[in-house]
Amino acid sequence: MSSHEPEPHSEFDVPPLTETIAPGTASDPDVTSAETATVTVDGQEVEVEAGSTLLDAVEEVETDEYVPALCHYDRQDIGPRSECRTCMVETDEGVVPACSTPAEDGLDVSTDAAPASEARDVNLDLVLSDHNLRCTTCGKNGRCDLQDVSIENDVEEPRYGVLDDRDEYEPIDDTSDFIQIDRNKCILCNRCVEACNDVQVEGVLRMEGHGGDTRIGFQNGSDTMEGSTCVSCGHCVTVCPTGSLVEKGIEDATTIPLPGFNQKNSVGKVVESADVEKGPMTPMKRDQVTETTRETGGDEERDWP
Amino acid sequence: MSETVGSQRLAVRVAGRESGDVAAAARERADAPVVEAGSTGVPGVEPLLAASDGDETTFYANATPADAEAVADALAGDGALPDGDATVDTADAAALPLPDLDGFGAERSVLARCGWIAPTNPDAYADAVGFTDADPDAVVESAGGVLGRGWGDWSADEPVGPLWEGVRERDGSPAVVVNAHGNPGDALLGESDPFSVLEGAAHVARVVDAVQVFVYVSEDDEAARDALTAAADAYPDFPVDVSVVEGPAAYRAAEPTMAIEAVEGNHRLEARLRPPGPEVEGVFGEPTVVHTARTVAHVAAAVRGEPTDSRVLSVTGDADEATLELTADDALDTALDAAGVSDYTGVLVGGRFGGLTTDLDVTPTPDALDAADLGTDGVLEVLGPDACPVAFVGKRAQFAEDANCGRCVPCREGSKQLTELLRDVYEGSLDRPKIDELMRVMESSSVCAFGQHAPRPVRTGLQEFAEEFEAHAQGTCPAGQCLSDATGEEPARAKP
Ligand code: SF4
Ligand code: SF4
Ligand code: SF4
Ligand code: FES
Repeated sequence: MSSHEPEPHSEFDVPPLTETIAPGTASDPDVTSAETATVTVDGQEVEVEAGSTLLDAVEEVETDEYVPALCHYDRQDIGPRSECRTCMVETDEGVVPACSTPAEDGLDVSTDAAPASEARDVNLDLVLSDHNLRCTTCGKNGRCDLQDVSIENDVEEPRYGVLDDRDEYEPIDDTSDFIQIDRNKCILCNRCVEACNDVQVEGVLRMEGHGGDTRIGFQNGSDTMEGSTCVSCGHCVTVCPTGSLVEKGIEDATTIPLPGFNQKNSVGKVVESADVEKGPMTPMKRDQVTETTRETGGDEERDWP
Repeated sequence: MSETVGSQRLAVRVAGRESGDVAAAARERADAPVVEAGSTGVPGVEPLLAASDGDETTFYANATPADAEAVADALAGDGALPDGDATVDTADAAALPLPDLDGFGAERSVLARCGWIAPTNPDAYADAVGFTDADPDAVVESAGGVLGRGWGDWSADEPVGPLWEGVRERDGSPAVVVNAHGNPGDALLGESDPFSVLEGAAHVARVVDAVQVFVYVSEDDEAARDALTAAADAYPDFPVDVSVVEGPAAYRAAEPTMAIEAVEGNHRLEARLRPPGPEVEGVFGEPTVVHTARTVAHVAAAVRGEPTDSRVLSVTGDADEATLELTADDALDTALDAAGVSDYTGVLVGGRFGGLTTDLDVTPTPDALDAADLGTDGVLEVLGPDACPVAFVGKRAQFAEDANCGRCVPCREGSKQLTELLRDVYEGSLDRPKIDELMRVMESSSVCAFGQHAPRPVRTGLQEFAEEFEAHAQGTCPAGQCLSDATGEEPARAKP
């Protein structure tokens, strides 16, 4: 056997602090251009500097059609995750996600080509299909990227509906004194995971599961925010584009005052704090365990239809 | 007594897993060498005992230790060989002489040694074909035109040469990943002819000047893992470090970038963004070639000067599993005939997300398969005569929903909505435009081949079995498999 036994993330160029961080996400390649490039967007020539993506070029000009780019953040080493695929544009090489395609000299980008337009609309509706769209009870009402993008994209009735099956709702995690998590509103953009791991270097959050069970979870294996190693810095909340992560105390700040409706009763189930006496510190870092058993399964047969 | 029997004329061979008792019984009695070979690719007849006497080999399917004793006694000169299930002229002692039994097909080239030579004995491989030590330019010259095989190959259906050149020219410490995960043909080569897999990998490693070869297997394919590990240890002068790495058995884990994630030891497998692909940033950020075991076995064959346009195919589903080989001119129905399958509703051609068809007059080349909207992953999944194609494609959509990596919206949420739209057919609604729109977007905007190919069974099924879909929307199942309750009650629905 080899002298190069693979070790999780051990060979990356990272500060020693992050060595044991296991965010559960793929190690993506660099997806920005190496050099200054001139691309054409809807007939207009745009010059972008080295390190740009097609989205940088698209954002420079008035485009023919709106390109939502919902999961895009691209500040502070966060993203592109490129999972929502609402930023598809057409190029000479076919339909590509603008947020994660390097801007290469001479590329011709069109925002109003039918396949790109269709892909953006369908993917945005697919995001909404898994979303608890109860804006009136949501703490991010009026300051939510998903809401902004949906309005801007003229979504009136998402073609696949919205998440409305109460059996599927995950309970709201209300256990932390500082942050409330409602995973029914999470679009899995990964911003919080990257803010926590790559910016704050706290190693609290991770992506876990697969298929419909994909969710944000905690690297120490805790079921609740309270039991995690969170230091309540709040960075994850700052970057969250939806009402999935909201500061405690203002989770109802933008709720439209209908008697009896609020964020906590919007899905019916809430996990409250266990109210155990806590010391002055968060759980010890060295308790932190990472999920070393590899995932298996997912190939099992279910009943049909 | 030699275990290698490259050219021995008198020998007993036992092929397949669970053949230890049979081989032991033969060893007790025989003076002739007894070889334990790996699987032949036709597990239904194994343990398969082969008694070679001079220019003839007699095969005994599902052999027992008693069969082995009788054969050994006969070879020792005590009477005639017992009647076998097939007898074949043995012209070439280095290749399995194909018995006239279901599952073997008519010709073998990369599979020739499977089930015939001792898989992990380097002398047996050296005797049979010999280790070739070609220099990199000669390898590019002879094997650069080989087409990558399988969905786990980073040059699937494309010539491998340009991929190698790109990696060779790039700065860094390149790696080679041999993806032997999941596909029965890849697992068979790993189990029964690991040296040809490693030899092909060694050629590629020399061409790209790699510092490391990783052989990636599913944790479920223990026989392949063990044989590849033993062969890597016994390989004479492998040019670089080589390790055998296991990944989870899940289907998606064979996707080339998830294979790299598994090799790196990531605990949760998720596809990587592309471009750029692994040839630019692969294992630990280094330029990496990812080929399936089939591809590198074809590379080894090309370097030996053998033709490489044959295709390894596995027949699965409502049939006895068999892995065999077709030439580029043989139509797919030849493979089904060879596997003894004559009656079927349809066949899903080209892997889990292949195309569903009843017309198997298609050659197994990428161009022909593509023109017929079929997949190229080398698996022919048979839907038996009683199978309902509507239920089949629905289940396959549900599999995509359950088994995707969870990263991107078109695949994760799209497969869920596709499954829902197919369930709606049972409630009378067959909304073709809506289904077609969703499939187009999954295909054009999913991150990896999983989501890009997931709609194909549905799309081809809707075309091939339009009447069956209509019938379901009207409340009847022509196959009688769905809606078995004639009272009109709703069928039990699985929790989405
Ligand atoms: S508030 Fe907690 S979970 Fe969020 S980024 Fe800070 S440490 Fe991580
Ligand atoms: S909680 Fe917010 S930031 Fe985190 S993945 Fe979900 S939507 Fe993105
Ligand atoms: S296509 Fe499917 S399997 Fe591939 S990245 Fe997207 S969600 Fe994951
Ligand atoms: S913004 Fe490009 S994929 Fe989400």
